[in-house]
Amino acid sequence: MFGCSSAFQRVAFLLMAPKLKPQRLHQIAETGAEQLVKRARTMSTQSSIKDAFSTYADYLNNFNEKRERVVKASRDITMNSKKVIFQVHRLSKDNKEEVLEKAGKDLEAVREQHFSRLMKELQGTDFWKLRRAYSPGVQEYVEAATFYKFCLSGALVTLDEINETLLPLNDPSLEPLQINILDYLLGLADLTGELMRMAIGRISDGEIEFAQRICQFVRQIHRELMLVVPKMDDSYDMKSKLEVLLQSVIKIENACFSVHVRGSEYIPMLGDNAPTSFLLGGADVE
Amino acid sequence: MAGTDDQVPPPPSSHSLEKQFESFRVQLEESAALREQIRAVVMEIESSTRLIQANLLLVHQSRPIPEVIEKAKEKINDLKKFYGQLAEILRECPGQYYRYHGDWRSETQAVVSQLAFMHWLETGTLLVHTEAEEKLGLNSLEFGLETEDYLTGICFMSNDLPRYVVNRVTAGDYDCPRKVMNFLTDLHAAFRMLNLRNDFLRKKFDSMKYDLRRVEEVYYDVKIRGLISGGDQGIQGQQS
Repeated sequence: MFGCSSAFQRVAFLLMAPKLKPQRLHQIAETGAEQLVKRARTMSTQSSIKDAFSTYADYLNNFNEKRERVVKASRDITMNSKKVIFQVHRLSKDNKEEVLEKAGKDLEAVREQHFSRLMKELQGTDFWKLRRAYSPGVQEYVEAATFYKFCLSGALVTLDEINETLLPLNDPSLEPLQINILDYLLGLADLTGELMRMAIGRISDGEIEFAQRICQFVRQIHRELMLVVPKMDDSYDMKSKLEVLLQSVIKIENACFSVHVRGSEYIPMLGDNAPTSFLLGGADVE
Repeated sequence: MAGTDDQVPPPPSSHSLEKQFESFRVQLEESAALREQIRAVVMEIESSTRLIQANLLLVHQSRPIPEVIEKAKEKINDLKKFYGQLAEILRECPGQYYRYHGDWRSETQAVVSQLAFMHWLETGTLLVHTEAEEKLGLNSLEFGLETEDYLTGICFMSNDLPRYVVNRVTAGDYDCPRKVMNFLTDLHAAFRMLNLRNDFLRKKFDSMKYDLRRVEEVYYDVKIRGLISGGDQGIQGQQS
């Protein structure tokens, strides 16, 4: 009888527990355990269980707090990297320099304000242990950095180049934070979606050559990723990304095809700065 | 412009791009090879654990505990050897323990549950984290036993206890329910000191209360029928 009722109390306690503040919960748990110690004076092991579990509790508390901080930093990186991507999309024929200059500065701010926070948390084995917590932010950053750089120079920033830009952040007492291959590749796979949008936009703006350059670049990335993906640690994510990527390539190719086949009909229009675009108004013009 | 073929010259980076991906392929292949090695050892760990488990299952058939434990213990040395091999493999890539951790995670939890059960049969106490590491010859600085894996393993052990109690009672050991009940009560109280996240471990811990309830029911059944003789022969005799 005694056993049953106490079990129900425990269940009730369990249901209640999450609403209490962690510290208070800790206290209650402790006094609960103390009572047990009293009840079981003959069992010397009782207190050793309690000691052991208070070590585990400390470990779990510290680690969960750390994880929270990493998740927050990752979210900030994602949010601000997205802003950089939007900024790069504002690019058009005549504002290239000023748009990209601002994007470059914003990117630097992401590094200085948020990557430095990540670095402090990801020393030693935590780098891999917390990968799930920071990976989304890092991927978004890779996407933004490669997107910006492609529009600036037409080239792909390599992982080594990205990691080099992270070095100045380092406190000499800490290990440098270096993005791993997997996150770089995942970010790169997302880049092609942005490039597709950019290519369509450039075509409607009359910058056909830019669009074709994008097309070649994206094809190349697709080809290379295809070879690398099966070898990745957990390739499930990446496989679905690769499919989306191929769709982007095809969309760009189709847009380039349309321009190629019917393009000459629109050249005069695309040449001037008329707001009518190839995609929107062009079809009716003979 | 648009009329020309899309013979835009390849971007200047094309060569370095190819080079980079080539080095990625090499690096990823290396880590896949490492993973192969890990998997081979993990399979050995898995089969050793199964042998231990098969041995320990004899307690349900009322085989004498010392004999059962003796046999199971012999296999612990194998486990020790295999974990040594894992640590050896991981030494090649310092700091990347958690990159590959998922590959031995669930197997290790099973190992912990068997060791803890064995330890409980032998001593009536809980196998704590450091003792578990010791048994497996692990050194937490290099290749340790992850705390959460240990805790999950302990929850698995708790899942096995109700069956043990039922079978002991059937075999006429009426004092067993109380011993197990006290042990599980303490363990459950200890687990409540932890602030768990909403993850796998939390789920496993939540299931522990059902184990406890089942054991309490058995205890109740035995007690109400006056089957517990003498009373005070258990580890803890104050409350009966």
